[in-house]
Amino acid sequence: MTLTEDRPGRGPRGGRPRPPAGTRSPSAPRALLRWPRAATPWIFLAPVLALFGVFKFWPTLWGMYLSFFQVRPYLGNKWVGWANFRTAFHDAALRSAVEHTVIDALVTVAASAVIGFGLALLLEGPARHLRILRTAAFLPVVTAMVAVAELWNTILYPGGYGTLNTLLGHLGLGPEPFLSSPHSSLASVMLIQVWKSAPYDMVIFVAGLAGIDKQLYEAAAIDGAGAWHRLRHVTLPSLRPVTTIVITLGIIRGLRVFTEIYVLTGGGPAGSTETIVTYTYKQGIQNNQLGLASAVSTVLFLVTVLLTCLTLWWRRRKEA
Amino acid sequence: MSAPRSSTVRTTGRRRALPMAALAVTLVAASTALTACGGSGGGSGGGSASGPLKVWVRGAGDSQKAYQMVFDAYTRKTGVKIQLFMTNTDFETKLNAAAAAHKLPDVVIDDGSQLGAFESQGIITEVDKAKIAGADQVSGAAWKSVVDDQGKTYGVPFSAQANVLLVRSDWLKKVGLQAPKTWADLEKVAKAFTTQDPDGNGKNDTYGLDVPGSTQRGYLSWYWSNFLYQAGGNFLVPSGSGGFDSVIDSPQAVQAARFLEKMYCTDKVVQPGALNNLTTDTNTAFQTGVAGMYLTGPYAYATMDATAVKGKYDVVAPPAGPKGVGSLAEGTTVYAMAGSKRAADFDTLASFMVSAPAQKLGMTGVPTSTIVRLPINTTVDPAKVHADDSRWQVAQQVYANSSTYEPVSAPDWQTYRNDASESLNKMLSGCDDPAKTLSSLDSTYTSLLKK
Repeated sequence: MTLTEDRPGRGPRGGRPRPPAGTRSPSAPRALLRWPRAATPWIFLAPVLALFGVFKFWPTLWGMYLSFFQVRPYLGNKWVGWANFRTAFHDAALRSAVEHTVIDALVTVAASAVIGFGLALLLEGPARHLRILRTAAFLPVVTAMVAVAELWNTILYPGGYGTLNTLLGHLGLGPEPFLSSPHSSLASVMLIQVWKSAPYDMVIFVAGLAGIDKQLYEAAAIDGAGAWHRLRHVTLPSLRPVTTIVITLGIIRGLRVFTEIYVLTGGGPAGSTETIVTYTYKQGIQNNQLGLASAVSTVLFLVTVLLTCLTLWWRRRKEA
Repeated sequence: MSAPRSSTVRTTGRRRALPMAALAVTLVAASTALTACGGSGGGSGGGSASGPLKVWVRGAGDSQKAYQMVFDAYTRKTGVKIQLFMTNTDFETKLNAAAAAHKLPDVVIDDGSQLGAFESQGIITEVDKAKIAGADQVSGAAWKSVVDDQGKTYGVPFSAQANVLLVRSDWLKKVGLQAPKTWADLEKVAKAFTTQDPDGNGKNDTYGLDVPGSTQRGYLSWYWSNFLYQAGGNFLVPSGSGGFDSVIDSPQAVQAARFLEKMYCTDKVVQPGALNNLTTDTNTAFQTGVAGMYLTGPYAYATMDATAVKGKYDVVAPPAGPKGVGSLAEGTTVYAMAGSKRAADFDTLASFMVSAPAQKLGMTGVPTSTIVRLPINTTVDPAKVHADDSRWQVAQQVYANSSTYEPVSAPDWQTYRNDASESLNKMLSGCDDPAKTLSSLDSTYTSLLKK
């Protein structure tokens, strides 16, 4: 949200119609003109801000407020102070959900970024066949998660005649339990997340690659740098801001992972894929503990803000 | 929710704009779970003294037609119009939103297992049995299912059911066995179904038991409770002082957990992926010949008969455990909602819904959706109503003679059921010691009961 226009009253005023003389004192029209100029961006932003206010910001604040109550929609909420937070922090199930979420976020962010970067290097360029390939690679991103999850459920069917297990069987391997064993369920879920998010990262990287000045490559090549050195010393440093965006978005995506897990495993087996948001959903919707669910969401929100700020701080330090 | 878009940022404003954008994105992210809870209800509010009676029913698909038929008959009889709202999606969440706005409907028709939760939320009101015409025709077991831990009646039963065992009859013939009558038989048939290629396709791809083992909505506990009752155990028992005591670590309960675990871990006769499976998955497994025995409610008849498995399965009573035949009983209840000014209309509606004509209509009005599974009205004989289908007699006999309701009147019973599912799911996945699992579940129950 950047204001790039000149502040009224300071910039050149050539061409602006003067108010008819004699109707008002000289200072009044200037104030009147100043107001709409300053308000213009806000007027344009108003519809979306109003929507976000009603559907995002207000519920978030309301959720924070509810964290301190035992939520009883009909009888009226009961103030419980920090009790919900205490319950949350003492719940072993939430602790393991946090562990799973952190592992999930780190692995999927790293794997998606690496694969996305690799895809971007392979598929960058204006040629038509590359555009088609990029579109094909991007399809997982725009496909509805629930549909994709159901499809993967079939592919990863744990019996010997599941799609992937049949292929493994031809190689003399398997059958693997995939989603049905607590030892492999989280890895299987992460595989699907990477499959879905790597192309998203690819698109951001492709945009980043397109923005790199070609002269830098030429200069490096003249200096005798090989492909690896050009990648290491030209491409990667130039992509630093883009990488920050990829990592920030990835972490946020990782911390709030829900749909794929809810559809594929529901957090099981044995809670092995329970994440913070599936835990929150269970507490809030299934166990009717909306206060506790709000407390967990509030903590998740604060942690996400903190992590985002840390990433930005780290990036600025790196770029300075 | 789609992934957040990257924001294009001008160099001059980057320092300020990026944190702002990040903040916006995180706000969006963190509020995902909460907005779901704050969503508005799907119907308009109740509480008005005139106009149509507002009724919310948890259900979808063909059951909407079936309920509409029952309500139309009621309107014809009494002149009271009904405004119906039905959904299966987040029904209780929508009810929460309506409760928060103090715009509850006049009547809610939902699972009997919601009783304790609704009562502790204060959203249902007590029912005066004396004002329900034909209350004496309603079976004692059904009335008991709507009584809370203090002995007060909170709702009127509309439908009842008990779990029965669906067994592939063609598979039994192939392996030369009878439908199981005891736990030992069940295990024997399950092993035969798993190892003797009952579908004759030459592949080792069939299983004995079809288990919805997911923890979602408490499925595994729901399934396992059949074995618990067959062993003579229970979750909670009334303590005498108006509360409950946990008996989930009793020797009977341990025996029931050990039996299921043996079949899952040692015999390996349960369908693959069971611990993530919901009923939609287990329905498919039975329909497509993955597993040959399925303990479920009689509503499954319609589901199964719509597929290729029609005519290839028998319905029998669940097997007898150490205590004898046991089965999970469940019901659908008509709840009177708090704040409604239509108490008299509730009484006439509930009276109509327990009456013989309404019960019969619910059983057969829409063949694909038996909203009344077993009649709670003792003057209605399911064998006569479903004269061409003896499977309903089996269900009726199991319900009448050997079924047990979950302790649904415990405040927030769903929480107990979910905790049991989590524990059992963990036990099965790690093949852990059942006694230890149930002992730790008992501590959870005890601390929940103290609240």
